[in-house]
Amino acid sequence: MVTTVTERQTGTWEDVFSTQAGAVYQCDAESCWYINFAGKVAKFDYRCLQKLKKAVYHIDIEAKLLDSSKDPDVEIIFICACDHTYILTLLQIIELKELLQGTFVMLQLNNILHDKLYRTAV
Amino acid sequence: MKDLIRIKSLLSTEVEDLLNQQVKKEALSSSIYLAMASWCNRNGFDYSSEYFFKQAEEERHHQLKFYKYILDMGGNAISPEVTGIKQEYNSFREVFEDALEQEISVTQSIKKIYARCLNEQDYVTNEFLNWFLKEQREEEYKARRALELFEIIGEEGTGSWEIDKHVGKIKYDSEAN
Ligand SMILES: [Fe+2]
Ligand SMILES: [Fe+2]
Repeated sequence: MVTTVTERQTGTWEDVFSTQAGAVYQCDAESCWYINFAGKVAKFDYRCLQKLKKAVYHIDIEAKLLDSSKDPDVEIIFICACDHTYILTLLQIIELKELLQGTFVMLQLNNILHDKLYRTAV
Repeated sequence: MKDLIRIKSLLSTEVEDLLNQQVKKEALSSSIYLAMASWCNRNGFDYSSEYFFKQAEEERHHQLKFYKYILDMGGNAISPEVTGIKQEYNSFREVFEDALEQEISVTQSIKKIYARCLNEQDYVTNEFLNWFLKEQREEEYKARRALELFEIIGEEGTGSWEIDKHVGKIKYDSEAN
């Protein structure tokens, strides 16, 4: 499920990763993430976040950059992750990919922390 | 901060993708064997046709095994699209050459998943894959044995009739099993 929210509603969001272009927060209480990007804050559950990741990672940015038949500045890309759609320029795609890559590295780091600190029998 | 991703699924995205690719590969195998069963039947090789019908069913079973494992571990199993199945063969022998080639490619792709799982210490999935590694021993053995019949018996005269009869008797009951 994805819902667009206009502002931060509770104080229980934790920063996961942020760039100049956007930020990702995790909400433990709701078991979800909030992505602030392209002028809106959207809520993603586990499934939807995976879908978004897959969709963004599968865009061949290099091919689009080399495609001289079109003006790259006006490239519009639709990303459907559950019932949520982003319409982005190529530059925004690069920014979103960077944001997600950082996010998944941080989530992986969080996984390592949990494994090392809480899940390992001493 | 909770470890939400790990809570939801045991599988990494990469392993989940590979397992879904394998689901497709097993579905493809099943369809290929079904086409082989049809070709053999149409050309009068009844034992071989029966052999391939059985193989087709086994591959379907493999597909479901992967499919259910993905779901059981919290992943998303994707029903595969299977297209471009070869329906015609140039010779009786070519059918068996293709069958062995298909099994080799399945073994290779299972090895690839196994390596990936070792790399990220997903021993749970490795343990699941062990069953398939052992299965591939039998699969490759049978396919190789079938092909060897062409060398031993030869297709001249009543040769292909003889080969067909023997295909029905191929079994893997080695002590190594
Ligand atoms: Fe198989
Ligand atoms: Fe097989």
